[in-house]
Amino acid sequence: MMTLRLPTTIAASLLALFATVGSAQAETTVKFWHSFKADGEALEKIIANFEAANPDIDIQAELIGNYNDIVTKLQAAIPARRAPDAVIMEVTRYGLFADSGVLTDLTPYFEADPLKDDLYGYAREVGVYKGKNYIVPFNSSTPVLYYNKGILARAGITEEPSLKTFDDVLSVSKTITDKLGGEGITGIAAPGQFARWGLVMSNDSELIDSKSNDILLDSPNTIEAYRWMASLVHEQKVASADGVTDEDIGRDAFLAGKVGIMINSTGNFSGARKAIGDNLVVRPMPCNKVCSVPIGGAGIGILSSSPKEVQDAAYKFVSFAASAESNAIWFAGTGYLPINRRATEQTIAAEALATQPGIDVAIKQLDFAHGRARPPVVTWMRSTEYDMWQAMALGQRGVEETMKDFAERTRQEATRAGN
Amino acid sequence: MSSAASRFPLPLFAIDHVPPLVVTPAGSMLRKLTPYLFVAPLIAFIAMFTYIPIVSSLNLSFREWNFLSPEMPFVGIENYRLLLGSRDFWNSLRVTTIFTLISVPLRLGLALAIASYLVRETLPSRFLRGALFLPSVTSTVSIAVVFSWVFSTDYGLANAVLGHLGFGKVPWLQDPQLSLWVMIFVNTWKQLGYDIVIYIAGLQAVPQELYDATAVDGGRRFHVFRRVTLPLVMPTTYFLLVISVIEAFQVFTIVEVMTHGGPAGATDMLVNMLYRVGFVLFDIGTGSALAVLLFIFLIVLSFVKSRVIGRRVHYEA
Amino acid sequence: MKPENPILSGLALAGGLIFLSPVLYSIWMSFQTVNAYYSGGLEFTLDNYQRAVGQFNFARYLLNSVIVSGCVTVTGLAVATMAAFAFARYRFRGGDLLFGATVATLMIPSHISLIPNYLTLAEVGLLDTYAGLILPAISNGFAAFFLRQYIRGIPKALDEAAYMDGATPLQVLWRVIVPISRPAIFSMGLYIFISEWNNYIWPLVAVGKEDLFTLQIGLARLYRINPGEGLIDWPLVMAASTITILPVLAGFLLVERHLVRGITMGAVK
Repeated sequence: MMTLRLPTTIAASLLALFATVGSAQAETTVKFWHSFKADGEALEKIIANFEAANPDIDIQAELIGNYNDIVTKLQAAIPARRAPDAVIMEVTRYGLFADSGVLTDLTPYFEADPLKDDLYGYAREVGVYKGKNYIVPFNSSTPVLYYNKGILARAGITEEPSLKTFDDVLSVSKTITDKLGGEGITGIAAPGQFARWGLVMSNDSELIDSKSNDILLDSPNTIEAYRWMASLVHEQKVASADGVTDEDIGRDAFLAGKVGIMINSTGNFSGARKAIGDNLVVRPMPCNKVCSVPIGGAGIGILSSSPKEVQDAAYKFVSFAASAESNAIWFAGTGYLPINRRATEQTIAAEALATQPGIDVAIKQLDFAHGRARPPVVTWMRSTEYDMWQAMALGQRGVEETMKDFAERTRQEATRAGN
Repeated sequence: MSSAASRFPLPLFAIDHVPPLVVTPAGSMLRKLTPYLFVAPLIAFIAMFTYIPIVSSLNLSFREWNFLSPEMPFVGIENYRLLLGSRDFWNSLRVTTIFTLISVPLRLGLALAIASYLVRETLPSRFLRGALFLPSVTSTVSIAVVFSWVFSTDYGLANAVLGHLGFGKVPWLQDPQLSLWVMIFVNTWKQLGYDIVIYIAGLQAVPQELYDATAVDGGRRFHVFRRVTLPLVMPTTYFLLVISVIEAFQVFTIVEVMTHGGPAGATDMLVNMLYRVGFVLFDIGTGSALAVLLFIFLIVLSFVKSRVIGRRVHYEA
Repeated sequence: MKPENPILSGLALAGGLIFLSPVLYSIWMSFQTVNAYYSGGLEFTLDNYQRAVGQFNFARYLLNSVIVSGCVTVTGLAVATMAAFAFARYRFRGGDLLFGATVATLMIPSHISLIPNYLTLAEVGLLDTYAGLILPAISNGFAAFFLRQYIRGIPKALDEAAYMDGATPLQVLWRVIVPISRPAIFSMGLYIFISEWNNYIWPLVAVGKEDLFTLQIGLARLYRINPGEGLIDWPLVMAASTITILPVLAGFLLVERHLVRGITMGAVK
């Protein structure tokens, strides 16, 4: 090990020497794991801006995969002591890592940071677990309803359809599937996990109570929502089963103009607009029983295993990434929500609002957006929910039976995990 | 090279023991140590990465741990109780058993049939053998990726072929009733060539005179096959049966790449479940319990088979 | 060999091609542009390979696979040959037991050691290193068993002649046994190399750093994260897949006979 490291260290120091001519400061490297594939460009820009402003800090960003991949890879990295210094953590799944001391408590940093007054209340809330700040918001989102105007028109729906209730959504999806099914076009993409959670909330329920952490997977309204979602695939056949086994396939099919309606994070806005252009229409989430949407997305956490000076450097980056300037670049480039009050004052953000119809839908939904519970068991619950959903949507198991079993197991797991 | 091989045919069943070396007093200590020094590296690696892990797995299977918490409390047989009470375990066991029960006889039957046609040393037969054998040395991940494309619903080869024949699109990997068959197909496609090559070696060991003798007796082709070929390749069949059952029970890569065990658990093999419980859900205790059960199961299987089938091989051959 | 029957030859050729058609088609596809692929046209390009090697780092993965498989093969063979020599030529206290323990590894499913090996290597800080990929793969009970059987077939007179000339056991092994066993060692080496090249589950858990991905891990990941937006870029994935199978494919065409012999000899275990 030593013999291998030495030449590398020398080479690296030499390189650093050449790279920072005139600067006597040693570089601090911050390893940063993230999940932004399609939005990589906007992230690169923010990192480049940060490095230009802080020449002594080098951000090594690595795309790990989606939120699930980050969680599994981080957990695997702990006994191996190979965790990064900073990591994107989805807002419901960092409790596990906060509880076990993997994430460092950012409260002292955050309290001393003028940034905290610039953040919207909803955005500040997502980073708080058991009264402490563990992540600083970066990309916040709510699910929205996207549809492809061109497909709807070809199916004979030229008027703006009502998409407020489950029945509304089903009837439009049916029309599309009936008219265009022969061309390989389906009505709606099977909802992904974030959309499923949103649809449960619009049916006046929750998966886990955000105040008491009670597990509500088997409450009647949750079951009803899942029954409706599963019926889209299994009984009504207005959603393709491909999107059930891999939710990215459902999204990709919408982007490829093969699907009429998609319920998904507002973070998909820019990608969708690039893919289907002016055919893209964005509408608020259905309000089947109530109007209520989950706040999703992620924030950046810092690992307690990193040395103090690296943590300091990492926090500088975390704070910079949430600044008005960065947030404006991020919002305009991706469609994620503004988290910084001053972001929309920036030219680039104002321009996006003026020229990209639909980018503001998620912002308007914030009036009825809610943070979600984040006890450690959520990580397990979300990993397991995929299998449960597949079983229901593909008609392998009854919805009620599955959800009751799922709730039971989640409760069991919650006691095991010592929540 | 080949001449050396033929000069020293493999004495696979030789049991004679080598007489001890003449020991001279000088350096006898070193001489005594010599064999130990020779086997030491191998034994060290085997102990380190095979035997000690069995003990560790057993230990971990009685504990609760998720990689994150500093301690791992002893929970007794709780993990086994949870596992044996879970739907997922029985589903995986069922799926893996079905996979094994269908794919092993399928592979062996096809392989023997094809091998008996390709046993002659002609150029076409050699070519076909090579083609059939190729997948068994090819990357499993590549094969899984290629077949993910072949069986993808919208742009796959399988549905394109069916489309030309006037059939509709089949959701091969999304339909829980079909996906296990796809796994069996892909696994058979990959492993068949190996079985064929082994069978050919077995068939080539059958003396030609035996065939001739039966033919003179007026035996027809099938008759010859049943009376002569089948019993004589029984040891080969036994060998293939053992390794393909063990292999089938440990199938992982094809499933992990193509379906992750889905849809709805329809292809969730035991090792895929082990990987998921251990390295996705990080329930190290339950994962280890599953590893221990799989271990015991395979050991028992090997043992039972060598008892039951071993006797029959002797009897018939 | 018998004279060729043209009809049979044609049938064999067609059968072989149909059997291999998915792989052959995937290679063909890897030379097409993604637009041509989805629109059903024909447009040839090397761009997929350039992107796979450059942008998606497959040159590095290839290097990693060569290093890992190469080291496993060389060290694995050395360790197995030495042990095989001792098991074949010496009677020593505990020898039968150790040999039994070696052979028994053939029946032990490798997955039981997955979690413990991960923890062991994590403990000593060897995950995310080449050593972490190589070490657990070195012990190969099958190779030791197979070579021991082979060595036992070599007349002892050859060893004894060498000992008469004053050779040490190591010299006997190196100058007498190894040269005669070359075909067996070569076949076994191929077998180990290919198995390691195609190994998936261990690198999957042992490597997190992208710089250390082997081809198998890189390919599975490229396929899973679907680079680009919208429909999956199949031609790019197939270019990566072709890079993954090509070295073994080329090797196969060169040494098919040895490989087949190695495997059939191994079959009688």
